[in-house]
Amino acid sequence: MQQIDDKIDLALSVAPYSQPPEEKQASLLGLMKDELESACQRHAGYGNYVQGWPVDFRSATRVADLPYLPVGLLKADPPISFVAAEEIKKTLTSSATTSQSPSRVVLDSPTSRRMTRGVVNIVRDFIGTSRRPYLVVDTLDSMRGGNNALGARGAAIQGLNPFASQTVCVLNLNEHGDLVLDKTKLLEFANAHQGVEILVYGFTFILWNHLVKPLLADNICLNLSNVRILHSGGWKRLQDQAVEKSTFNEQLARVFGCSPECVVDFYGMVESVGVIFPDCPEGNKHAPAFGDVIVRDPLTLEPVAAGEQGIVQVCSVLPTSFPGNLLLTEDVAHVLAYDGCPCGRRGISFRFAGRVPKAELRGCGNLDVKRSVSN
Amino acid sequence: MSTPSLTGLVQPVQSPAEISAAAAELRQAIATDPLSPSDVMTIFESWAKELDARELDEIPGIVFLRMWLRRGTLEPIIARELGAGALSGGWTESGRARLRAFPLGVVGHWPAANVEIQPILSMTCALLGGNAALVRVPRGLVDLTHALMERLTQSDPSERLTRRIFMASFDHNRRDLHEAMAKSVDGAMIWGGQDAVLEVRSLPFPHWTRIATFGPRMSVAALDATAWSNPDDQKTWCLRLARDVWQFDQQACSSPQIVFLERDPQQSAASFMTHLQQAFENENRAHPRRTIASALTSAICQARAAWLLKDSSHAAVFPLGPDWTLLFGSGSELPQPVQGKTLFVLEVDNLHEAISKLDGNVQTLGLGMADAEKENKLAMLAGQRGIDRIVKLGRMHTFVPPWDGVDLIRPMVRMVRHVSSAE
Repeated sequence: MQQIDDKIDLALSVAPYSQPPEEKQASLLGLMKDELESACQRHAGYGNYVQGWPVDFRSATRVADLPYLPVGLLKADPPISFVAAEEIKKTLTSSATTSQSPSRVVLDSPTSRRMTRGVVNIVRDFIGTSRRPYLVVDTLDSMRGGNNALGARGAAIQGLNPFASQTVCVLNLNEHGDLVLDKTKLLEFANAHQGVEILVYGFTFILWNHLVKPLLADNICLNLSNVRILHSGGWKRLQDQAVEKSTFNEQLARVFGCSPECVVDFYGMVESVGVIFPDCPEGNKHAPAFGDVIVRDPLTLEPVAAGEQGIVQVCSVLPTSFPGNLLLTEDVAHVLAYDGCPCGRRGISFRFAGRVPKAELRGCGNLDVKRSVSN
Repeated sequence: MSTPSLTGLVQPVQSPAEISAAAAELRQAIATDPLSPSDVMTIFESWAKELDARELDEIPGIVFLRMWLRRGTLEPIIARELGAGALSGGWTESGRARLRAFPLGVVGHWPAANVEIQPILSMTCALLGGNAALVRVPRGLVDLTHALMERLTQSDPSERLTRRIFMASFDHNRRDLHEAMAKSVDGAMIWGGQDAVLEVRSLPFPHWTRIATFGPRMSVAALDATAWSNPDDQKTWCLRLARDVWQFDQQACSSPQIVFLERDPQQSAASFMTHLQQAFENENRAHPRRTIASALTSAICQARAAWLLKDSSHAAVFPLGPDWTLLFGSGSELPQPVQGKTLFVLEVDNLHEAISKLDGNVQTLGLGMADAEKENKLAMLAGQRGIDRIVKLGRMHTFVPPWDGVDLIRPMVRMVRHVSSAE
């Protein structure tokens, strides 16, 4: 296990978007094989799945042939764990906006530490390394979590803590449990940090509904031009308001008094926490040195060619406490190129293109109701 | 309003008035030119020949449709359902009375979208009873149904049959058009999943409309130990099973989702599984999938992983792609069907135990039994458990009435009884 830890540390020490694709492929493949071997020994069911895979992972020549797990399997309760109960430090849960049951992933100390390092490595490539005042557009409770459990919002907020010199949360819950903006606190923060480099984070729909809309309604501009605004969580909950990304960026920039280029959308999922995908200046997403993205053709499950779209698989060497290394997601993405994005980042460049529709049995077979039989 | 023309071809419909007008024309066609089952079969025969065309070979179920339309297939069905005299439009003696089938009138068809030839099959049942047919063609089936109906127009130059067919295409959500259809029909044949069937049945049909519902069902297969463990027969049973899975992409009510193997204490099922894998591989080579919905791919991947993770004693065989999947385990609990050529193979100590757990949701039991006495007992039990069709493996989709426990032609006719006044 120490050998695996060392290899993961090595992957985390590489500049995240600097490796030529072939070199990265080789290092990921070797490390992921080691991780699979270890995981199979720790979890009989997972070992059975890997053993049932049509290709023996030990002889696989590309990451795309390794056994990946559909992300829906992480909804299991109790969660699938590769570590003993006493080693679990934290359980993360997804926001479960598209299904009733959330995903649950268990983190031991090494995995938790690596997750933080992963996010830091990626984010500093986009916003630099300095610590700065950190404005969290969420509640203190969301940020902290409770009982060793942390939701998707809390995990994202905490992931950016290493960039914070001071953290301020500006949302509260009212007596009905609704999120409410604390304008006084927000304006105090803004007044105190005029001209200073600051960091803002919020879930996409929360930023829109609980910051942009109330400030626009009161015609307030915070005059924080030296800001980097990161947001994640997806656009699904803004669908009914038909908010375009460009409108979102423009209006957010308007209330902060900054350029729309200061707004960075990133994709991240609790199931693969530690690997996030911010938009580069070209509007594309990239995979870091310690992970990858494979976009699979639904007809063959082979990786698609550049210019095509398919189902997204996210790969990460970071987790060793749960099966999050090779996850087939329920998202669809379009691959622009396998290398050579004008932004200079190496490896795949892609854009998300929505969700895989919910699977429904066609015609016959959708048999929820048990039929009585009269003899 | 444009008056629809009764060409037999699929036409887009925009307004309820178009449907009402089409129904009125259909009614006129029946009244002015009655057709006997024999007249209909003559046209069907030549239609079957027209369908024997290379460009139609890719349509799932086309081979079956050609067979279905032959006089040799249909005559015994009509004789059994309507009486021997019905073939030529005559009366059939029944004790001291005589019986004759008369059409209900206009029969509406709401086929499901999961079986490509279903709009045609449903329609033929009504036409054989002398009815006219008003068919709503699901959006995904418009092109291929149109192609099949073009061949009918070529086989029916006098338009005796096509004049009594109106095939409408309109959006599933157009409640007003569904209602117009319902109000216009004397009989209805409704096929599909639970939601679709309930929705159609809630339409404002006239009180006299005869409704035949073919709702959601699933099917299973079973093999006794002597049958599957016989080395001479293993390959053949596996081939039959694979064919039943492949037809209609395992989405039909009659598609097997689970096969129960009676445990053989003398040998493991490993060699059977090897043959089954080969049969699936061969079938996949012969009939590869051309497209797939991303949702189905996800569901297949999910099923594979869930099965193997759930229990270390579970096994599975599948290729890297989503083409097919065999999930092997034991026990008689019914797993949730996945479709997409995903077959659960479950070893059980006793087939009776497995069949006794089925309910009326299971339509067809495909059997491979070496022991006839055991088969008869199993068939009795299956009937008691609500299963409507018990057939040999390899013939699970053979469209022969009764289907879902009911006849296919008789529900859409009136059986008129004549007792002579001279008696």
